[in-house]
Amino acid sequence: MKSAVAAFALTSALVAPGLAAARPVTFTTTLNNYGGDGAYLVLYLTDAAGRYAGTLWVAGGKSKYYDSLAGWYRATGGDPAQIDGITGASVGAGRTLEITLDLADALFDAGYVLHVDAAVEDMRDSPDDVAVPLTTQGAGKPTPGRRYVASLKYDM
Amino acid sequence: MRIPWIAAACLAALPATAALAEDDCHAPRAAWQPREAAMQAASRLGWRVEEIEADDGCWEIEGRDAEGRRIKAKLDPATLNVVKLRHRDGGRDRRREDVRAPAAPLAAPPANPLFQNGKPPVVQVN
Repeated sequence: MKSAVAAFALTSALVAPGLAAARPVTFTTTLNNYGGDGAYLVLYLTDAAGRYAGTLWVAGGKSKYYDSLAGWYRATGGDPAQIDGITGASVGAGRTLEITLDLADALFDAGYVLHVDAAVEDMRDSPDDVAVPLTTQGAGKPTPGRRYVASLKYDM
Repeated sequence: MRIPWIAAACLAALPATAALAEDDCHAPRAAWQPREAAMQAASRLGWRVEEIEADDGCWEIEGRDAEGRRIKAKLDPATLNVVKLRHRDGGRDRRREDVRAPAAPLAAPPANPLFQNGKPPVVQVN
């Protein structure tokens, strides 16, 4: 039910953006000093049913490597339309990627999950290096990653 | 993440004037110097070549430098100048992709409900 409400709110946001409540949210992804090349990262959301809901950012400029971001690639087929205008350089070991955007309130506490897939040349791919539910209570709390991501948090 | 071998094969099939925007080198195919010339250029730098292949529009070399350190380098295929050099055992050249500033979004973000008001995200790497 909650996801139906969220879906309605998101649809409304598309049709009448002025009516949708949104707030600036900053996603902070800090990488470990894993001792390799710059990491390719993708931040994307799935809904309460686990369906792909959209991409927030892709770090890494060469599309030939995007299939290494396996969870995201499986969901999108690497569709360039999903990431037009939201790609940048890869992120070096030990560095922090900060992304700020206006995100619909309806995405919080509605079963949406933020995923970060990571990949590094000549090292193991790490789909879902970290995945966190989007909740108002989870804001500001860092979540540790599995391989390349030291921590992920979102603030609003 | 592995470099797909097919990339090298595709490179050979490109039209003479084609250059991929994502490539590290952009010399037209007709201007490429042969593999042997790239090997000689590496040798003049004191490198011992263990592997050489075409990748990202460049000659990519893996091997050892004069001090015996493992290296991975890219040479411009027309000039044979070094465009990237990484020491695999530690020290790194500054021409790495990840030290560039993040690319500014070129267009409006995708038309999905995540981007309210059509504003692109603000991104920085610290």
